[in-house]
Order: sequence, then structure tokens, then C-alpha cells
Amino acid sequence: MNPRDPRLAQVDSFLVVGKDVVRADAVPKVTGAAQYVADLHLPGMLHAAVLRSPHPHARIVSLDTAAAAAMPGVKAVATGADTAKRKWGAFRPDLYPLAIGKVRYVGDEVAAVAALDPETARAAVDRIAVQYEVLPAALSLDQALAPGAPLVHEDASGNVAHQFSFERGDVEAGFKASDVIVEGTWESARQWHTALETIGCVARWDNDRVTMWCNTQTPFLARGRYATALGVPESQVRVVQTEVGGGFGGKSGDDNASVICALLARRSGRPVKLVHTREEEFLASHPRMPMRYWVRLGFRRDGRILAKEIKMWADNGAYTGKSQAILGAASVRHDALYKYPCVRGNSTLVYTNLVPTGAFRGFGNPSADWAVEQAWDLAAEKLHMDVFDLLRMNAVDPGDVSPHNHRITSCELKQCMDKAAALIRWKEKRRKKAPDREIKEPARGLGMGCSVHVNGRRSFGDWDGSSAIVRVNEDGRATVITGEGEIGQGNLTVLRQIAAEELGLPYEHVDITRPDTDLQSHSLGALASRLTYVAGNAVKNAATAAARQLLEAAAEQFKRPASELTILNGEIGPRNGSETDFRPVGAVARANIYKPGGQPIVGVGSFDNPSEFPDHNRYGNESGAYNFIAQAAEVEVDPATGEVKLLEIASAVDCGTVINPATAVGQVQGGVMQGVGFAMTEYFDWWNGMPTDPQLKDYPLPGAAMVPKLHVAFADSYEPSGPFGAKGLGEIGLDAVPAVIANAIADAVGVRIHELPITAEKIHRALHPGLYAGEKPAAPAAPRGGTWARLSAGKPSGARPFSPEFIFARTVEEAVQLLAEGDAALVAGGMSHALRRERTGFPQAKRLVSIMRIPELQEFSIDARGMLRAGAAVRQQVFSEEPRVKERWQAIDDAMEGVGHTRIRHMLTVGGSVGPLIGGFDLPLAFLALDARVTVAGPRGRRTLSLEEAFQKRFAKDEMVVAVDVDSPPARSGSSFYKYMARRVLEIPTVNTAARVSLNADGTCAAARAVVGAVSWKPIVLDLEALAGRPVSEKSLREAVQDVRARAEPLSDVRGSAAYKREMAVEFTARALITAWKRARAEKA
Amino acid sequence: MLIKFRINGDPVEVNVKPGDRLLVDVLREDLRLTGTKHGCGIGACGTCTVMMDGYPIASCLQLAAMCDGADIRTIEGLAGTAALHPVQQAFVNKSALQCGICIPGHVMAACALLEKNPDPSEEEIRASADSVYCRCTGYIRILEAYREAIALARSKSA
Repeated sequence: MNPRDPRLAQVDSFLVVGKDVVRADAVPKVTGAAQYVADLHLPGMLHAAVLRSPHPHARIVSLDTAAAAAMPGVKAVATGADTAKRKWGAFRPDLYPLAIGKVRYVGDEVAAVAALDPETARAAVDRIAVQYEVLPAALSLDQALAPGAPLVHEDASGNVAHQFSFERGDVEAGFKASDVIVEGTWESARQWHTALETIGCVARWDNDRVTMWCNTQTPFLARGRYATALGVPESQVRVVQTEVGGGFGGKSGDDNASVICALLARRSGRPVKLVHTREEEFLASHPRMPMRYWVRLGFRRDGRILAKEIKMWADNGAYTGKSQAILGAASVRHDALYKYPCVRGNSTLVYTNLVPTGAFRGFGNPSADWAVEQAWDLAAEKLHMDVFDLLRMNAVDPGDVSPHNHRITSCELKQCMDKAAALIRWKEKRRKKAPDREIKEPARGLGMGCSVHVNGRRSFGDWDGSSAIVRVNEDGRATVITGEGEIGQGNLTVLRQIAAEELGLPYEHVDITRPDTDLQSHSLGALASRLTYVAGNAVKNAATAAARQLLEAAAEQFKRPASELTILNGEIGPRNGSETDFRPVGAVARANIYKPGGQPIVGVGSFDNPSEFPDHNRYGNESGAYNFIAQAAEVEVDPATGEVKLLEIASAVDCGTVINPATAVGQVQGGVMQGVGFAMTEYFDWWNGMPTDPQLKDYPLPGAAMVPKLHVAFADSYEPSGPFGAKGLGEIGLDAVPAVIANAIADAVGVRIHELPITAEKIHRALHPGLYAGEKPAAPAAPRGGTWARLSAGKPSGARPFSPEFIFARTVEEAVQLLAEGDAALVAGGMSHALRRERTGFPQAKRLVSIMRIPELQEFSIDARGMLRAGAAVRQQVFSEEPRVKERWQAIDDAMEGVGHTRIRHMLTVGGSVGPLIGGFDLPLAFLALDARVTVAGPRGRRTLSLEEAFQKRFAKDEMVVAVDVDSPPARSGSSFYKYMARRVLEIPTVNTAARVSLNADGTCAAARAVVGAVSWKPIVLDLEALAGRPVSEKSLREAVQDVRARAEPLSDVRGSAAYKREMAVEFTARALITAWKRARAEKA
Repeated sequence: MLIKFRINGDPVEVNVKPGDRLLVDVLREDLRLTGTKHGCGIGACGTCTVMMDGYPIASCLQLAAMCDGADIRTIEGLAGTAALHPVQQAFVNKSALQCGICIPGHVMAACALLEKNPDPSEEEIRASADSVYCRCTGYIRILEAYREAIALARSKSA
């Protein structure tokens, strides 16, 4: 079908390109030597903290920083009044470095402090007094577009930041001729880049010049914008790229952090470090732009696409950054994927009083694909075609031109589809659908989707180029001088490979510089999947020039024409010459310098993307080449919970020649998993324009346990305009993933998800509408607690200056005494104190009393009668390592798995987890099911009570846990514990349950108990006496737990709605009992 | 208060002024061992993972005062002068890294597992890798690095 491109043969002969060389940055990154921005330390360096708006929209009435400035250790305070008062931004300057007059979202920077240490800086921020006049806010697309809506920016009427429309071809006629039309609206959501390194900067002024060590992905573009914001000429700003701990678009220099850092450094006259806390990263970096995307597709009966129309509204947030360009990409890019004869579109960028959005891997494509790739799947259903056949029939080919003049050069989309289908065994697994079947068991389904991406894009003016210098040093090693940089994707390695291949040097003989805007020439940096293609071409051209100079120098030295010479593996000699005829490159380079009139070998090369600057309505070939992907997923959906298990995801990519296979595979695998996060786990609960708990706790990233089988394949493809036939691939792995998963879910259980994220609850609701018929949704309530109090004052997270005394108690009595003296807190593992310190900023007690050195609290024993005793200071990891726990008290063993990882189990203690009496915690719930007893000590002595009684009556404030005792279960007993985390939010699950079942010799029930946590203030305890003496079955156990539904009093929150939690409480109580029963039976046998 | 502990085999004394100073701050700021990263402050991401008495812990939740007398190992303590630690070598061999910010955490988690259990099951490998987030790689290569590390250690001891 695909005759092998003859140019592919030459790819096989490359010596460096296509090989898995060791990454340039591998060793420093595995040894901890790599220097990220937070690792920098300059003499005299200060630390910054930022005061942010707690209101989505407010006028600043007054701002008083005197108290902050007067604090010892504070060296500079800055507000909007201290800035150049110039708005900045990539396309539509609308952002002040520090607010002037108004704040427009929760997180907007109001003032900043630089102090000797971070604690003092935060305490100073706490003392800045701001009076706000709160204004009505536009907190959603609908609110922003409503007539009379509050204006986010006075100069944007109707809150429209940008708008365009197009009609290319006769769309009316296309739909008229269509036999099948599908349409629908799909909504995407904010996704944060969540690079594990947050945005940061260290700035230092030397006279009138500032050096900014930044983790930006675009040093030169950042320099230009920072100069504007700081009000200084561009050449007065030097941006140096540090190691970048993940970018994904989020470090494109659209945020205020670096500008504020430079302002504080100028005011204090000292170097300043400003690194976002994780919370600030969620509040004030620029996440993916959510879109409401309506699409209509028209098809001929045989599946041929005839017309497409879209209408799209995108939530810009309060400031524009790159969102204007994202809007364009999301509107037209997809039309280079299938053979659309005509398209019509209307796209609107809408200001809201929410966190500004920006570039994120995929740049609008994922939201477009979320809608359009599902619409194609719907069309396949309606056309009674296999979606694979439908997509393949309409896929673009080389030479096609999209309605927007996107010119397809190399394209192996069909080959990609074939490969993806083969990897996931599409034809074999795709079963006939029975649409009306009732789904009772976990069901599997397959989904497919495709995407197209650019290789660079003309965005920032009519140039999408790159330039490079390749210097061949007098020892024969080459240095590639480029300002394009590295953000972890492997770009420096790829560019080294390209230079080595072109120069004829071994890869190890080529070095490369990191961006420093004082040293290299203008470059655009890491964006738009451009580096392999655009920077690769520039480096290759520079290497060609250097190689030519080398050959000319050698010609003189060898006294032969240059055309007869070649460079091979670091040596120069005659073509077809013998080994002894060759001379090291270094010798040739050195001899070319050390002679009268000599000069070094320096090759200069540049490249401009052969593309067009699109007009206002996005007509124009935005990139010189396009890369393609086809993806297929297999999922399994559990109808009892709505949970989706990812089984396999296959990706086949056309990125032309693969320069570095390991890096390329890594880009696709990583992109896929970010797509999985976008689809399924990454979102917040919101209250009044802000996430209710903007920390990683509520925003779980996909972890290793969630990774399905990931297949990755590359098409045999060669891009004539690419370096050695290569194209980019940095973003495309992510784009279609959410749609592909949604399509697979629709195939599995017939549920079509229109709104991201895909949650278990949405699927459960769609499958069981009857269960939710009587639901009375509760009015949302404002969050409470210390974290919220701090957040709603706009203050930063982290510790304040505070010096609690730390005491190791030697005996229980000493600890009790210290506790009685007041203002003291017990620490066991110490985690709760550390968490409170980070989240609220304000610790509780002036004395921390550690119980970890009290010998009797260390006891962990199983006595002659089989009783388990665990002292309060016993680390939970101990349970995991004791084999008898797994044999006798399976509920505890299960709970240890629920706790998660050794890292946390080794820090959590028995006392720390039982003491607070929280049913949502894992270990106490397991103890409760096993009728544990707890011994506590207080000023009135010691007492032992059942854990159940403790949960009912609580401990006195001056009591401390000494130990927990658990009896050996009777013969023929089993226990179990379940933790259901509907979306992996940490600490408290959606529901946790534990159960214990004991059987009589005849298999009837002797005793059964189940406990349920996290869905009421106190754990629900079910002593199932009605089961005693009766035969047991799954059915009888399920029936026995039904009243959990009525007894549960769950709150709706980020873990699920109250109604869903009730259903899950019943389901998982039943599962716990059934598992315990099966274990009891197994023990009998 | 003055606390004494061993860091990568060497004895150190640190004057921990606030009684609630965290181990990650002592490592990064007092001792300037910046290989250990600070990713979230709430024990969720795992980039601050170090080994304490042979176990992996979240140094961002560990009160430094409680490390008195402990044996702490960080990423800086793994490689010898001549060669990388087998786990580090495995991450290099498998190209199991991109931006690299999480890698010290992953390497320490892997070391902690493999020192206790040189022949872990696939499940145990997954659980260990699951304890540290990676935003770049999609984990497949990190899982391969675990297997490579096991193989390297085996061939070294053989």
C-alpha cells in the first residue's frame, strides 16, 4: 500500500541520527548535580513572597505597606506604584506586573516583599493592608457573555478579547448534500502544566542591567516582554536559562513572577529569588484554556466528509497571554487532518475573572480534538461504519491543501492508523455492538482518534526561524551555539546528533550551549513542536557551513580538491582513502588557525520555516510541515462504580525521521499520560473563582500505577524540508487522548461524555439514572478551616518565623505532663504539624513534644494468645513487614496498601492515625472492624476502651494514645478493607470500608461486622446480627448493607457528590463484606 | 537545638533554630545539598524523597529535629568517584528521564526498594515508582530503569 520512500534508504545509513545516544543531560540529572532555578544561591540573595488578590474582581481602595517595610529583615517592598505602569503580554498587552487600580482574578499579584529569608518575607506580606471594593465578577463563560455582564477589562466590550470567523467553500451546499449529519457541544477544562518544578527566577542588577536566571522555555521572547514590563531597553535584560524542570507551555514567560523578582532586586539592590510555591503555581500560572466547542459534520452515505461547521467560545481568564493564538489553532488546525471540502467557523475569546489561561502542550488542539474526534465517532455510529474505516477513508494525503491553505507535504496518517490498529488488535477485538444490552459486569471497549500538529508556527511576527553557530575547536570537538534551549524534551541531544551527523564527528565530540541572551542570536525557543524541525535545520545549515570550511582547509593541507575529501568519525581524508590517509579534524582545524592569516572554523546557519503568517481570520499555511498521530485505546468500565480502567493505548506517529528513538518514544509516552490526566484526574472544585484547595492533594497527576500498556510506533516517513527528513513531535502524543478514551467508554457502555473531565461519577449517573432520581442537590457551601482563611486573605502558603521548642519526652507520664502544661502538641511522625505549617502558615503550639523516644510506645508484639499490640510510636510500615498481619488481620494489611507507599507508611504512626479519631483514615477503620481496643493516658491515669466507644465519646484533650490491641480472630474468620478514591484525591477517600466475617463450622455466619468511613462524621458501624446463624451468600451480604445508604451523611465535594458517595458507600461495604466472607471460607479450607 | 545525624555517611551537626524546621530545608539550605527537590510541600509528589535509616521518606514532611541520630542518604551520596550507582546507571541506560526534576526522588525510591528487596515483583516495582510523580516520561522508561537496575546489580554481584 505504501511503497517505501526511496529516501528512507539513506536514513538507514546515518551514523548518529536515528541512534540512541546518551542524553547530554543524563548524568547530571541522576546525580542531583543539575542546577534548577531553586538550586541557585548568590551571595547576599534575598527571598521574595507575593500578596495576591483574594477576590476575583475588586477595586483596590488603599494599599498600606508601611508595617511590612518596617519589619526587621525586610529589604524591599513593591506595589504597582513602583512599576513602570506598563501593560505587557504576548499579543494583547493587558497585564500589569503588579496590580494597578483593579484586581481581576484570585491570584492577581498585588504587592511583593523581598527579605532575608522566606519566612520573614511571608510574615511581611501578612502585614500588608489592602482595602478592596469587591466588584461583581464574571466567573464563567455564561456569566461573562450575559448582557450587562461586569467588564473584566473596560476596553473589551462584551468581554470579547478576540474574535474571528471564516467560511471556506460552500458549507450550506455541503450540508444540503449530506445524508448523515452529526452535531454536538463538548466542553474542556482548565488543566495545569504541573511541571514538578514551579516557575521561578533569580534576578540581579549590575548598574542598569539585570540578569535573570529563569526556567523559561523561551528566553529571547521572555527577554523582550520582561523589558517592556520593566520599562528598560531590551538589551538591558539578560536572560539565562537554568535547567528547566518541565515546561509543557507553562514556562513561556507570560506570568509575572520573573518581572516581580527583577523589580524587587532593583529596589533592594541585592539578588532576589522568587520561586512559585505549588499553590501559587495553581493560582497564577497560565493553565490550558477551556473551550465550549460546538461542531457539526455532514457526510455522504458512504462516509465521505462533505461539510464542517464549528462555533467556539474559549475562557481566556483575566489576561490574554498566548490565548489569542491558541484560539486560532483550536479553530483551524484540525482541518488539516481530514479531507474537508468546506468549513465554517466562528471563534470567540472571552475574558472572565478567572485565572488567566495560556499555552499548554497541544495549544488548543486537545480541546478541538475532544469535540471533533468524538463527533467523528458519533458519525461512524450513525453511518453504521467502523470508525477506523471512516477515519481512514477521509484521512489527508501528501499534496492535500486544507481549506485554510495548510499544505500537507509528507503525510503517513493512513500508515499511522494501520499501525495503531494493529498494535491494539483493533479488528480482532472490535465486537458487534448490542446497543440495548444491560451492562452488569465490567465491560471493555475500543476507541480511536487522530490528530495533526505543526512544526513551528508563525505567531510572533512574520518569522519562525532559528539561527546557529557551529564552531569546530582546535582539538577537533565542535560546539553548537544556539539559544533554543532544553526543557527536558531532549532538544540539546537531538541538535547535537544533527550537528554530529552533518559534520562527520562522533556524537561525543559535539557540545552545545545553554541559552544566554547575551551570547546567542535571537531564537524563539521551545514552543509549537518547532525545535527538531526549525532549530534542527538551522543547526544543520551551520554544520554544513562549518564542514565546508573544514574541507576547504583540509584541501589546502592535503593539496587535493575539497570535493575529493570527506569527514568521517572525527577524521578527514580522501574519499575511498585508506585509514592512514586520514588526519584528525582537530589537526586540520588547528593548522588552519596557526598560519599567517589563519582563522578558526566557524559555520553560521539559519532557517526560516517555509510557512505563511496567517491573516486575522487564520488563512495561511502556518507551518512548513505537519506531523500526524493515530491513537487507539482499550478501556474497561465497571458499571457498579463507573470506574474506567485503562488497559492499552496505542500511538502511531508520523514525525518523519526519528532522530533519537528513546527521546521520541519518551515524548509520546509522556504526552499520552498528560492526556490521560487531562481526561480523567486533573481538575479542581471551585468556590468564588478559585480552586478550593489549590495544592497537589486535590489535583492528582497520573501515577505509575495508572499507566496502561502503552504502545508506541513511528511511521516510515521522510519530510523533504526537515533535517535528515525529521519533523517535530513534542505535543502530538497528548492531543487526541481524551477523545480516544471517551470513544472507548462509549463503545464499552454506551455512555458519551461531553464535558471534561471524564469521572466515574458521570458514568455511574448515566448508567443508573434511577438511583439519582430523588436527589436533592445541596447548595454549595464556602470552604472552611485554616487553609481557607489564609487563602481568602491572599496570603502565601508556607511557614512564618516561629520557633517552637522541640522536646523528646522520655516517658508517657512526662508527655502527659507536658501536654497538661498547655500550648504543646504531640508529634509522632510529625506529618500533621508539617502539613499545617505548609498549608495554614500558622503552627499551633509553642512546644512540640515527640513521643518517638518513649520505649513503651515502640512495642509491636503478638503474644501467646495471638493478641496484636501496637504502641503509639509504631510506624505503619511495620504492619506491612509482619507476615502474620497478612495472615490474621487482612483488613490491616489491605489498609496498608490503601495508605499508599512505603514513603508515607514509614512516616505515619499508630498514634498519629488513631489519635484524631477520623473515620476517613485507613488504619483506624481497619482496627474498628477488628474490634480493637485502645489504651490512652492522661492526667487522671490510664484507661482502655473499645475503639468504637472512643469514636463515639472522643478522647479528652489532655489524653494521649498509648497502644492499640487487636485480638486474634476466631477460627474461620476473614477481614478486608477497601479504599475507594474516585479520583485519587489524597488524605480522605470517597469512601473507605472495612469488614470482618466469622463463620460457623457449617458455613453459616457466626458474626459479621462492617464499618464505613468518610461519609459521615463518625464511622458507620454495622453489627450484622441478623446474619448470625444463617447461610451466607453474596446476595445476602449485599442486602444486609443497604441501610448504609440512609445512614450515610456525606458532603458533596471534590471526591464526589453526596448522592454518588451514598451509592459507593453501599457498593464498597458490600465488597468489603464479600471479600471478608470469601477469606473466611478460604481459611476454613 | 543542635541535632546530629549522618548524611551520606558523614557525621554532621546542624543548629536547627525553629523546632519545626523541615529536613528538606536543612538539606537544601543549611547543607546546600540541592539534589533533593521541593515539589509540593505536602508529601504528594515524592521529588523530596530521601532515605532515612534505610526507608524512603518525604523530607518535606519530616521535622528535622526528629532526624537526630538518624542515618540520612540523599542523591548526592549514591555515586562513587569512579562510577554511578547501579540505579543511577540504569536511569541513564534506559534514558528514563526528561526534565529530571523528579529523578532524584525516583532514584532514591528505587534504591530504598532494591536495598531491602533485590528481586521485587512487578507489583512492588510499580508501587515504588508510583510513589514519585513524573510529569514527563509517562513512567514506562522509569519502570524499565528499575528492571535494568536489578539486572545491573545482579551482574555486579555475580
